[in-house]
Amino acid sequence: MSLNNILTNWSRYRKGAEEGGFHEYEHQWGMVVDLNKCIGCNACSVACYAENNLPVVGETRYAKSQFMSWMRIERYWDEPDIEPYQATPSANVDVWIETNPPAAKTDVKPSMPGSYAKGLLEPGGQGFEERVGVYATKGEAQDFGASFLPMMCQQCHAATCEPVCPVAATYHTPDGLNAQVYNRCIGSRYCSNNCPYRLRYFNFWSYYEDAWPEPLHMQLNPDLAVRDKGVMEKCTFCVQRIRVAKDEAKMENRKVRDGEFATACVQTCPTGALVFGDMQDPESKVSKLWRFHQVEQGKTKQNKQNKELRGYRILEGLNTDPSVMYLERVREV
Amino acid sequence: MSGNNVNRRDFLKILGWGGVGVAVAGCDRPTTVTLEEGKEEVVAYLQPEEYVIPGVGVWFASTCQQCPAGCAVHGRVREGRVLKMEGNPDSPINYGKLCQMGQAGLQGHYNPDRLKKPLLRKGGTLTEVSWEEAMTQLDQKVGPASGLNGERFAWFTGTVSGHQSVLLSAHLAAVGSKNHFVHEVINDAVARAVNQDMLGEAAPRYLLDQARVVLSFGADFVGTGASPVYFANTYAKFRTATPRGVLIQVEPKMTLTGGSADLWVAIRPGTEGVLALGIAKHLVSQGVDASGLPESLRTLIAGHDADKVSKITGVPPDRIARIAALLKDRSPSLVLAGASAEGHAHGYQSVAAIMLLNVLLGNVGKTIVPSGASQFPQMEAKAGNTRDLLAFADAADKKALDVVFFHGANPVYTAPAALGLAEKIKSIPFKVAFSCFPDETAMSADLVLPILSAHEDWGTHMGVYQPEQKSISIQQPLMEPLYPDTKGFGDLVLTMLKARKAAGFEGFEDYYAYLKSAFAALPDSVKGDAVSDEDFWGKTLQKGIVKVTTVGGSLSAKAVEINLPEFKEDSARPYHLVPSARLGMWDGRHANLPWLQEAPDQISKVVWTSWVEVHPQTAAKLGVKEGDFIKVASEHGAVEAQVYIYKGVHPDVIAVPMGQGHEEYGRYAKGRGVNPLKVLAPVADAKTGELALYATRVTAAHVGRRELLVKLMGNETQLGRKMVATVKADVFNRTEGGKDVA
Repeated sequence: MSLNNILTNWSRYRKGAEEGGFHEYEHQWGMVVDLNKCIGCNACSVACYAENNLPVVGETRYAKSQFMSWMRIERYWDEPDIEPYQATPSANVDVWIETNPPAAKTDVKPSMPGSYAKGLLEPGGQGFEERVGVYATKGEAQDFGASFLPMMCQQCHAATCEPVCPVAATYHTPDGLNAQVYNRCIGSRYCSNNCPYRLRYFNFWSYYEDAWPEPLHMQLNPDLAVRDKGVMEKCTFCVQRIRVAKDEAKMENRKVRDGEFATACVQTCPTGALVFGDMQDPESKVSKLWRFHQVEQGKTKQNKQNKELRGYRILEGLNTDPSVMYLERVREV
Repeated sequence: MSGNNVNRRDFLKILGWGGVGVAVAGCDRPTTVTLEEGKEEVVAYLQPEEYVIPGVGVWFASTCQQCPAGCAVHGRVREGRVLKMEGNPDSPINYGKLCQMGQAGLQGHYNPDRLKKPLLRKGGTLTEVSWEEAMTQLDQKVGPASGLNGERFAWFTGTVSGHQSVLLSAHLAAVGSKNHFVHEVINDAVARAVNQDMLGEAAPRYLLDQARVVLSFGADFVGTGASPVYFANTYAKFRTATPRGVLIQVEPKMTLTGGSADLWVAIRPGTEGVLALGIAKHLVSQGVDASGLPESLRTLIAGHDADKVSKITGVPPDRIARIAALLKDRSPSLVLAGASAEGHAHGYQSVAAIMLLNVLLGNVGKTIVPSGASQFPQMEAKAGNTRDLLAFADAADKKALDVVFFHGANPVYTAPAALGLAEKIKSIPFKVAFSCFPDETAMSADLVLPILSAHEDWGTHMGVYQPEQKSISIQQPLMEPLYPDTKGFGDLVLTMLKARKAAGFEGFEDYYAYLKSAFAALPDSVKGDAVSDEDFWGKTLQKGIVKVTTVGGSLSAKAVEINLPEFKEDSARPYHLVPSARLGMWDGRHANLPWLQEAPDQISKVVWTSWVEVHPQTAAKLGVKEGDFIKVASEHGAVEAQVYIYKGVHPDVIAVPMGQGHEEYGRYAKGRGVNPLKVLAPVADAKTGELALYATRVTAAHVGRRELLVKLMGNETQLGRKMVATVKADVFNRTEGGKDVA
């Protein structure tokens, strides 16, 4: 996105709901994740691997966080909002720092060639101690289950990844998606640095060289590319499925019907915790859910009439304006 | 009818439709089906030229073979290749959804380590041979002229159902054997035995969605239960009902289901029955009517006051009171028993005590209802267990077997080392593995027959857990076989049946013809509005499932006597080993699928390897931090793996997940992690003879080595950010109760 373009079209790109919303979009794909239903089973994530040609990177590269799971399930042990755990953020961070003192400087050997990557895997090495987990709930036992959080690209409408791309490889589509143009991408990785959700994945290697030994490669989905080294990639809301649905609707001279297709993760979710649809269609399931939970786009802070409703957007206060609404986990306490 | 003297009743049995319902129901349909029909020219299984439209994916119905649940699937086929699996929306089991294992079935089909040629042991090593040579060997050793004594022949399989099961039974009968060992490590055999005795039905239906509170003693119903996808769906209904259902999970190590619990309670393994009785005592003291129970049980319950129970189980008295209060206040309830309660020498007794709560709370008939039999009992799943593994080891030890056929099970991997199975089966002169992969059992066989993958073969299946609408699911090839020298399992068994001149089977050219004839022979009531047999067959393949009716079914609520042993500490081996099962690796059968290796464990988030789960207190005692290797040693062996520390495990428990530690099984599985099943003590449940998976005591010690534990999460806490926000249930009931928003 060039500066000129931004200056000329700023208001067009950033028209909030209070100004009539994003009516210039053709569609505005959105999602709802109901954490009351999510059991953290991982079906969505593996479905994504199958649909989107995600390479399996292996243990060593995984250790360096070079994995490519566009859809991942995060799991936390604490629940900051609810008893019995009531830590303030600062107390919480203190607990973490206390139990995990940073590695002593002498343990880090930055001068050794390749030591950073190697060090990650070795005690005392750079990044090792920081990555060791902590548990910070009160009491001796885990009194409740885990807190699962499916995370896919939030398709922000004020995406922090977009304006930093030096070559406009990451841009906003008329469908309201953060798209990544692989052919333009030069691998600066500014976008992933800027994503507060850590949902952009970089091809550090030519994964195709060993991710699909014959005949595993026969499973690759011909509807989308296999990416090469040096290219950033991310969840596309299964843009290839969107493409097919839009084409079919066009051929039949009609609008895309709500529920006629879904992304791979939504399609397979065994509990139906994920809902996908067009937020421009006021009758779509997603629209109804957003309305019911009084969550609006174009805001950094929701002004709900009923404060008890569960809808929220993750790190909304950063003004990213995500297209994914989460519904709070429910707990009997 | 052919020259053989096969009457209609026998004929239906041959085709798998034998049973109470069909003999009567089918009679109004005169014998329009003949054996000759099986001889008709059968065209290629798939006709690619007809279906291939470049650039267009076509969906074909089939059945998932990744676990015994039998989910119906659709496979997307484009340019002759199957690319993606999705659930079949018509299925009453999985209603269009799939779990991660189902998604990853493709990687079994396209696995680079599949067996491509028959292997024959020559001079000690397995050598590639032609099918001709393999079949000659088979005929010499097992054929009619082999002189094989039927009693010294056995099939060793995993859970099997549908027409494969019919053919296996027919083959056993033809050989003159009764030895069918059906083995699954992940099973509910002990609970089935208790259900049979208390309810009069081994596998009743559990109406999770009708319950307002579920108390689960280690039943991992959304993870490694009998039908994970089915129960995940009913779980969602349970959670969105008004008022919202409450889940209490009591277990030694947090399972996937426990990961969603409102109240998670760590318990000392083997004391689940004691806790159940303690809860019962609380309920009775709160006025729950126990007058229907025998005097002996009332006395037993009365002897379990909270302090005593708390001391034995490690569950605080206020927790016991809270659980009892929830059960009493939120009727109807449902109490479930799972693997961690079943897997002890007194597993049956514990489960009986747990099921007693259902009787006491009046759940039988409300949230536990009869399942009944299917119209076609021959089709129903023969559910696997571990009793048969022990029986097989015993038979091998006594040199009671000359020939064993393996299919769908990997006992050399799953058997505890203490059973010495790998050694003992060497005494079996001829072992044949029907397998897609070079697993441990195949690699120790004398003849390995490479079979078609689940996505290339025909079959019919009934899931081990059948919801109200019972169904038979069709497995059809989603593409041409990848390797020309592989054969269908059904075809091979049919060939052997024909070699044995089994009456009724001679007319079928192949398994496909057999299945097609079988479906033509179904009664009209099942065929619905199909205008002809051909039409019905076409529709069946298109839909992928045939819905069948349920026959009979009623439940009793009879209490059985309960004898729980004194709980004993073991000072030499202070820790309990929990060989936990994962939705993903399952019992180790999916360790060769890279997607599942790289899918983080749901609880620990570890990938690609084994780990040891310990409580922070235990970790402090052992002086270990995350990533440290510890040695976990039982009387029968030791494993070494890295530590993962969290609070979802009892301080006396060391949990090591199953699934890794393969010595064979291809590039993705071999030599990775450890197999906790190997170090198990060969203890069996006294009543059922099931292997007591959770009864092994171990020591644990730091071995002084540390590496980064490779897992997804950098942080275990939210660091105060609103990532997973939580709201209390009463708020949810107030704002969303009774509302269908979208």
